[in-house]
Amino acid sequence: MNYKTLKFSMFALLGFFAISACTNLEPEIRDSQLREGEGGVFVPGDPGEALISSYKDLGAFTDQANIYSLYDHTSDEMIPPTRGTDWGDNGVWRTLHQHTWDPTHSFVVSSWNQLNQRVYRCNQVLASNPNAQQKAEAKFLRAFFMFHVMDLFGQVPYREVTEGVDVNPRVFTRAEAFDFITRDLEEALPDLPGGGPIATNSKATKAAANAMLARLYLNKAVYKASNAAGPYTFDAADMNKVITYSDAVAADGYSLATNYFDNFSSSANNEVIFTSAEGSPQNRWFMTLHYDQNPSGWNGFTTLADFYDKFEAGDQRKGIAATPNGAAFSGLGRGFLLGLQLKDNGDPVKNSRDAFKPLVFTREVKIAGQSSEKGIRVIKYHPSNAGQYIFLRYADVYLMKAEAIMRGGTAPVTALSLVNDLRALRGATALAALNDATMLDERGRELYWEGYRRVDQVRFGTWDDVWSEKSVTESFRVLFPVPQQALDSNPNLVQNDGYK
Amino acid sequence: MKFLNTVTKGGALIALLLLFSNFALAQRTVKGKVSDAESGEGLIGATVSVVGTTRGASTDIDGNFSVEVPDGATQLRFAYTGYAEQVVALSASNTVDVALKPGTMLDEVVVIGYGSVRKTDATGAVGSITEKNFNKGVIVAPEQLLQGRVAGVQITNSNGEPGGGINVRIRGTSSVRSGNNPLFVVDGVPLAGGDTGSGGSDAGFGSSAARNPLNFLNPADIASIDVLKDASATAIYGSRGANGVVIITTKKGGTGKGSLSYDYSLGISTISKKYDLLDAPAYLTAWSALNPGSPTTGIDGKSNTDWQDQIFRTALTNSHNISYGGSSNGGDYRFSFGYQNQEGIVRESGLTKYTARFNGNKKFINDKLTIGTQITVANNRDDNAPISNNSGFQGDLLGAALKANPTDSVYGNNGKLKQININEPNPVAMLELSKDFTKTLRALGNLSAEYSITKNLSFKTVIGFDQSLSSRKAAYSRDLVVNSINGKGRLFLNDVETDNRLWENYFTYTKSFNRANLSAVLGYSYQNFEYVTRNFEMTNFKTSDLDIMLNNFASSDQGKGTSVIGRNSSNTFDELQSYFGRVNLGIADKYLFTATLRADGSTRFGGDNKYGYFPAAAFKWRLIDEGFVPDVFSDLGLRIGYGVTGNQEIPYNLYQQRQRYNDWDINDDGTQINGGGIGDVTFNNPGLKWESTTQLGLGIDFGFMDGRVTGSLDLYKKNTSDLLILVTSAQPAPQPFFFTNLDADVQNSGVELSLNLVAVDKGNFRWNVLLNGAYNKNEVKRYGGLLNTGAINGQGLSGAFAQRIAEGQPLFAFFVRDFAGFDNEGISIYNDGDFQQFIGSPLPTVTAGLTNQFTIGNFDASIFLNSQFGNKIYNNTANAYFTAGALGGGRNVTTDVPGNGESRLNAPEVSTRFLEDGAFVRIQDVTLGYRVKLKSTSVSSLRFFITGQNLAVFTNYSGQDPEVNINKAIEGVPSAGIDYTPYPRARTILLGASVSF
Repeated sequence: MNYKTLKFSMFALLGFFAISACTNLEPEIRDSQLREGEGGVFVPGDPGEALISSYKDLGAFTDQANIYSLYDHTSDEMIPPTRGTDWGDNGVWRTLHQHTWDPTHSFVVSSWNQLNQRVYRCNQVLASNPNAQQKAEAKFLRAFFMFHVMDLFGQVPYREVTEGVDVNPRVFTRAEAFDFITRDLEEALPDLPGGGPIATNSKATKAAANAMLARLYLNKAVYKASNAAGPYTFDAADMNKVITYSDAVAADGYSLATNYFDNFSSSANNEVIFTSAEGSPQNRWFMTLHYDQNPSGWNGFTTLADFYDKFEAGDQRKGIAATPNGAAFSGLGRGFLLGLQLKDNGDPVKNSRDAFKPLVFTREVKIAGQSSEKGIRVIKYHPSNAGQYIFLRYADVYLMKAEAIMRGGTAPVTALSLVNDLRALRGATALAALNDATMLDERGRELYWEGYRRVDQVRFGTWDDVWSEKSVTESFRVLFPVPQQALDSNPNLVQNDGYK
Repeated sequence: MKFLNTVTKGGALIALLLLFSNFALAQRTVKGKVSDAESGEGLIGATVSVVGTTRGASTDIDGNFSVEVPDGATQLRFAYTGYAEQVVALSASNTVDVALKPGTMLDEVVVIGYGSVRKTDATGAVGSITEKNFNKGVIVAPEQLLQGRVAGVQITNSNGEPGGGINVRIRGTSSVRSGNNPLFVVDGVPLAGGDTGSGGSDAGFGSSAARNPLNFLNPADIASIDVLKDASATAIYGSRGANGVVIITTKKGGTGKGSLSYDYSLGISTISKKYDLLDAPAYLTAWSALNPGSPTTGIDGKSNTDWQDQIFRTALTNSHNISYGGSSNGGDYRFSFGYQNQEGIVRESGLTKYTARFNGNKKFINDKLTIGTQITVANNRDDNAPISNNSGFQGDLLGAALKANPTDSVYGNNGKLKQININEPNPVAMLELSKDFTKTLRALGNLSAEYSITKNLSFKTVIGFDQSLSSRKAAYSRDLVVNSINGKGRLFLNDVETDNRLWENYFTYTKSFNRANLSAVLGYSYQNFEYVTRNFEMTNFKTSDLDIMLNNFASSDQGKGTSVIGRNSSNTFDELQSYFGRVNLGIADKYLFTATLRADGSTRFGGDNKYGYFPAAAFKWRLIDEGFVPDVFSDLGLRIGYGVTGNQEIPYNLYQQRQRYNDWDINDDGTQINGGGIGDVTFNNPGLKWESTTQLGLGIDFGFMDGRVTGSLDLYKKNTSDLLILVTSAQPAPQPFFFTNLDADVQNSGVELSLNLVAVDKGNFRWNVLLNGAYNKNEVKRYGGLLNTGAINGQGLSGAFAQRIAEGQPLFAFFVRDFAGFDNEGISIYNDGDFQQFIGSPLPTVTAGLTNQFTIGNFDASIFLNSQFGNKIYNNTANAYFTAGALGGGRNVTTDVPGNGESRLNAPEVSTRFLEDGAFVRIQDVTLGYRVKLKSTSVSSLRFFITGQNLAVFTNYSGQDPEVNINKAIEGVPSAGIDYTPYPRARTILLGASVSF
């Protein structure tokens, strides 16, 4: 290579690199919206869209697993039996009923993730310059989601929208979380719309916030207790707040429905305070009905004979027999399904899992090794006419008021008269007296399988009792463990007592 | 400096380059013929080069060549794959005829990325394979050509589907989450890693993977495949080199008058192994044993149906390949057209493929400028059967066929399909009442211009494109009794478009000094990748007619408002900008050094981590050229190499907080639509960066007995760190998981041996043996967390998993209960109790391949055995379907279930009961060929052949085939070695003929 060639080559090389650096590698975003600006600041989106998404997030509660399962499968009103090859599912159901879950339980992990993620998304709404009502709705939803984190896990992590993966979220104690949630609800109240009961009450209203506040103050003794497992001391001032908030709900036009099962249909018009427009209640029938019924279910969960026995004959909440007339789903009763099951045309359902014998649901059921017909099934939402999935219902608020009076709140009526008025409406005989046991039973009869039995059992101190197929009495299980993966991801979290 | 100002525009640059073209030197043309020393037949495609220059040519179909020789040149070098190289001194004569002897692989040329070297000069671990040693049989994708043929390269078909997915693992599995497949480079164009078609949407029996994106290449167009295995070789591909690089080189036109060739083959395929299921009488007896006292009237359909026979068939594959090519005046061209119509052994499934390819090169300006073009256009139609990776208790097509009651008939008395209920779908109905196909049009091409600036320096620019349009349409008639379809029908329309562009420029400098040879490459590369998807779903059809559903989809009752959704669309655009350089220095032909550096900048990473730097160095000592090596050696060389390579195979932009509207979907009843909220796809993650792999390799290349025994032995240690992985977000967070670089290591260490042996070479009989074997050990180190994967599906197995990634274990180690039989009640008992523990690995420790090739006169034969050892397979198929509980509930099972002591009320949890030894030896292909001696001059060659593919498998595995890998990922963490109702393997007999003119 002579000198001239060398010189040329060097120039050529320089030129080549000069023209070739043709991109600065800045990402070109075509199918999504950037929410992060220079220095990690939050770039607000449309608060209305974000709020719609937060409402859609409520659909997670309609699942039969995860959040719902931590509230009901763990309680004395439901059992998820393993039936041969069905519902073993690596033991996730059995351990919930038997109170032997651990920090790696997949529903514990996913509930933690689902609820906290939803809290974060409410923070995004609040950071997106919402108007007053949007802000109030976002605060209501944040309180709703965070309530479950506080209730299940006893501590609540918190992250601002500007904090990236490199920030370890700070952690509220249960008492701090209680204050945060009640403040959110109280701040939301003035700007929330009013409005009475309709079957499709899927937006936050004053009544929904009042109902949540009643629930919070009724359980304040639990959430503020120095030991999560109790004992709990209920303060009369808090009980009076429960009464005030309950009365505020009633003042918006809510009342008890004369026909109990109307509440779970599209024609509900007295009690429905807050529902989910996303998802549907269909999992509630699929998860219990037998394969050979119409609709064909997954043959899963049943209630326990002891729980069934809490109902007296004539109580409409115990159920309404089917009236098969050929119409779709007319073979299916409401309430508890026990004994011989019928098709829509009145013929017995044949059990394809058992030699096509007639399908007869039994009282008795155990946790494992069960054949397909074991256990009493439960239908509240009926496939022929199901409304939206209900979170808050007036009967719950009504019974909270009664309980608040029982626990020392001041009111012109007695707790017993309120309870007996309800019972009369439901076709049950009047109670002679009211105590913790009868009050808890009444809440069970009214609200079974609606997703909050755990809260009641903890408050009444029966969570560590023994019941059918559940012998563990460890009181630290009033709280679920912080999931192992969450502990690994955030050093600010400390595992709950008993799970260390 | 005024020079510099003028060089700032590309066009000016090229113009200037041209200015420096030297004037042509005086030269002459030398012609001749290269033939096989034994048979005397001309060798097509042999390389002829003028020693000391860049001049060269290749031989035509008859072995003839013509090369321009400048004055001053003294030698010609003749090389042909599989033959000994010869260097011939030039005399005054303008004719040189050469007879090459087969028997040594020493002078193979290997392609190493941005250039090629003689194999003996390669400093890195490179496995090369040419057409002669390609696998035979029905071959759809290029990976199948080298399956089992290269040491340390494990190629696993996910299943037996025509054109189904293929996993390639070079020197073990190193990534936890990000892609583990190597980079594929076709004629210099690196391909994007993603699928080009849509996977199957979940219509009620699980979702399925897309087919292999490399199906668009016609294996008959491929001349050679080079596998770069170690970091010193792959570092030139930097951020995409960590899993190895597979370089595919396509055929070029020969020189001379041109040739035309035509191949035809007919393949006849049948299922290699059916499950041994109970027939109707045995089923009734076994059912009664589990249901004592119950009459069989309820379950006895009074027929005897072999459901497997109902869905499988003898399948035919027709292939036609025609190509013609030639050369004239410093140019060559080849055109080919391929047609392949492969029926799947599962009814209704198959693959139809049309490929057209053009490959042309032409020299201009006194041979200083070489323009090359390679273009492939492929049109594939995949007919998909309703087979999925993750069907639930209802089963997919195969699951339904396994569990279907053998006493039921396919059709009822009314002549219509007998469909009992949504839980027990009729497999024949699934086939007849659905239609699912994908059409993919893909074009890959490049245009290159290489200019010799001086004798030593050349500049090459390459413009490449890779574009595909794929549309998948799946219709399920409302007559099909399956949840979410029954009474409504369902239609899915899924489109995928990819559009990738490449622009590369590099200089190559070669110079021979006194005792040294230097060659250097310096370049720049820019590549971008666009990936677009569109998905639609419809239901509530007023018709049962699949064609009307597909072609007149207004038959969906759109007035309902819940019948039609655009599920979602997406469009991502990534860029990769790179600078690379490599220096090869040979001193006295004995000491060979290579140093490589690539800097890759990628839009996959943000902030300061956009650029990654990947260096490598290697040294080879050719001992054979030292005086002290005994004469018994014909080759001896030592190699050592070290390098760092990367992996960037994670989804688009995961470092900036972004939101997208979520997918919509229609519920099972077709009464409600959900989704559409604005949702988070990522959150602030500024620290995300490359996964990097460092690799140290040692190798010995050897040859004995005049090259009759050659081979190499390699040792390596690979350490992958900064693992790209999804980890749990610290909540509250927009997403449950985010990508991070995990502070942990995955180590692969192993040994590879390749051995080629000319066992007999006498008269007209020749016997070659090719052996390769590899040992690999895989271990996860320095990892404090744990990740579960290997989802197990089936009745009562929701949420079940069988694998866990943890410290001290191999990747994807099995994590299951230790099954110890049944108690007196027939309930499972487990050693150490009812909990999961680490037992076994899905990754084979030893893989091996053995080829025997025979030539006797005009007959040729080859037999190829492929094997692997040391791995376990989790039989999810048996776990889901072959249990007493399944039988007791009226489902069919294999003949080993009755009497196994299990109660029908036992829950078959994930345990070693279903974990089996995965070792196997497979007779992969056996070929017998006959070359017809021709008197005609118009036909230059005619050969007939018969090939048996997958003739036998020796294994203890109870499933259909031990070579299986169904995707059972959990939360994006991949799985390995799990079998769940895969599309079964075929055994194929192939008859064919090739003729050249």
